[in-house]
Amino acid sequence: MAEKETPLTAVKVEALVVMKIIKHCSQTFPTTATGSIVGMDVNGVLEITNTFPFPVVEMPAESHFDNTAPNPAAAAPRAKSNAAYQAEMIRMLREVNVDAHNVGWYTSANMGNFVNMNVIENQFFYQKEMNERTVALVHDVSRSAQGSLSLRAFRLSPKFMTAFKENKFTSEELQKSNLRYQDIFVELPVEIHNSHLITSFLHQLQTPSQSASTDLPPSLAALESGPFVKDTVLAPNFDNLTLSIDPFLEKNCDLLLDSIEAHNTETNNFQYYQRSLTREQTKINQWQAKRKAENASRAALKQPALPEDEWQRLFKLPQEPSRLESMLNSRQVDQYARQVDSFVSATTGKMFAVKGNLLPGEIAK
Amino acid sequence: MADTDSFVHLARPLGPVAVGSAPTTAPVNVVIQPQALFSVLDHSLRRNADQERVIGTLLGTRSDDGTEVEIRSTFAVGHTETTDQVEVDMEYQKQMLALHLKANPKEILVGWYATSSELNTFSALIQNFYSGQGDGTWPHPAVHLTVSTEAGKDIETRAYISAPVGVTAERAADSAAFIPVPYEIRYGEPEKSGLEAISAARDAEERSVNLFTDIEALERAIEEVLGMIDRVSRYVESVIDEEAPASTALGQYLLNTLALAPKVEPADIERDFNNHIQDVLVVSYLANTIRTQMELSNRLATAQLTLGGESGSTETGNQRGGQRGGKGGRGGQQRNQERSGEETRA
Repeated sequence: MAEKETPLTAVKVEALVVMKIIKHCSQTFPTTATGSIVGMDVNGVLEITNTFPFPVVEMPAESHFDNTAPNPAAAAPRAKSNAAYQAEMIRMLREVNVDAHNVGWYTSANMGNFVNMNVIENQFFYQKEMNERTVALVHDVSRSAQGSLSLRAFRLSPKFMTAFKENKFTSEELQKSNLRYQDIFVELPVEIHNSHLITSFLHQLQTPSQSASTDLPPSLAALESGPFVKDTVLAPNFDNLTLSIDPFLEKNCDLLLDSIEAHNTETNNFQYYQRSLTREQTKINQWQAKRKAENASRAALKQPALPEDEWQRLFKLPQEPSRLESMLNSRQVDQYARQVDSFVSATTGKMFAVKGNLLPGEIAK
Repeated sequence: MADTDSFVHLARPLGPVAVGSAPTTAPVNVVIQPQALFSVLDHSLRRNADQERVIGTLLGTRSDDGTEVEIRSTFAVGHTETTDQVEVDMEYQKQMLALHLKANPKEILVGWYATSSELNTFSALIQNFYSGQGDGTWPHPAVHLTVSTEAGKDIETRAYISAPVGVTAERAADSAAFIPVPYEIRYGEPEKSGLEAISAARDAEERSVNLFTDIEALERAIEEVLGMIDRVSRYVESVIDEEAPASTALGQYLLNTLALAPKVEPADIERDFNNHIQDVLVVSYLANTIRTQMELSNRLATAQLTLGGESGSTETGNQRGGQRGGKGGRGGQQRNQERSGEETRA
């Protein structure tokens, strides 16, 4: 295939897909919802034309692990039963002329908290097992509730893919590959695309209110219960003018605190590793010194020398903990910080506007 | 949708009811969610070139008393239609329904759609299948939604339920009296932002649009509000100039709206404003500090072993770095806790 060479540059999402994803994600909010997306790859632009949700499978809990996924839906995309479901669904869709080509999966998120092992493993699974050219669409329900739709497309970078495949996340390997947390994901720009029919449909939704706007309402009650108040289809959305900022900041602080805790755990783990490494190292040095002294005395007595590399069998160096978690954590914090930034930039503007409005003259000074 | 005709809708027709059960005659109200309509339109685009119309199954929920039907999603069903016979892929419909129920157990079969406004014998046949016993919606009536998608004409949506007509059993099987029912398009809060983004692409030549950032969305909203204020003030001015007819209702409404402006002491505003803006900025500052701290700590941690391994001094140095990063993080955490405590109080 010739198109294999052009890398994916953008994602074009049909209006239908946007609506379906929003519906599914907000229905199950705050639990994570996942689903599959189908579409086509046209010269590096991934066109996503349809989608269907994954059923939530009750996975047998691995009882001896404490850290099993609390939510089976989060792991759904790589569950075996869902691969079958997906294949079946795509086969069915093919019969009614829907693009029968799996191009990835979607997940819901809450305040951008999607950078975790589940997402990585799912996307890894997709990029490795199914098709290299797949994306993960992330729909952030809480952020969309603030006014502007949050839908983002991610892929794992090739660098990260190779590292993840070989599980190379020791400090040394990271140093060699120069992989940083910024390199985990590649974000693709998302574009929303309407079909001709939907365009014409949207235009028609608008017309009734314009054609009927001539006669004046007879009374206040009539106005309040009239068609203009109720006719909310495509009414402009002013959610992003709202001034309630506390819930958002609170939530963000909570999430940041969680991340800091995770970071501390990781740091402690690493420090523990370093301490035990030093301990072992000293032991080895002592042993080597002892062996050397012994050999020296044996040489004096004209006896054959004992091997000096036996320590490799006697001592075992501790395994270095994987740095993947802390990398993901950094990426997550980065995400939160950017989120706060963009929120703050909008909020300060709004707040100054309110102040200027309520205290006219103050600003002019 | 272009013209929602008004029609008298006193009682809904009786469905094919078994003798003995008391049938209800309460009217049916149909609520359509936009994504269902969108997928009907999408299916219509994907029909085979020689097909006049395509059909599919409507899924959704029905209120307990059966008076309100909410259409939440749809799926396409293949069918072939010739002048004298119609063939619907029932096997497909069953399988697809089963697949759908797996993912959405709450959504049940409520009816079917077709992408032309025409109602003919075949419509009656299919309608009787969907409202039948067993696989159909019985004892509730099946909803039939028609969305006309003829090129060059308005998209017209209509909802129907049916009543059996026909004297003999054979005649009854392929006939039905379709009764139009009122419908409305309704969407929830979460869909609002999505619809807004979609409708932003409405006037674009290439029918596509990029997503907005927060600040762009804010700008748009403000511009829209300014536009509306302009319109209202133009209207008020023209009334004052006696160019437009005045309306007491409108005047009252505007007065009520103006009365919504809060009356607060300037000092209070000043104080609240300062408190809030400080909160916001501190959170932003802390978030960025935490980010920097973590990156620093991770950098130090990964940087160590290239230099390290040869001497203990670099290792301890790095350990200290790691600790410092950790401590910084913790300091941030404490401050942050205070801050979020303050916010909960605010």
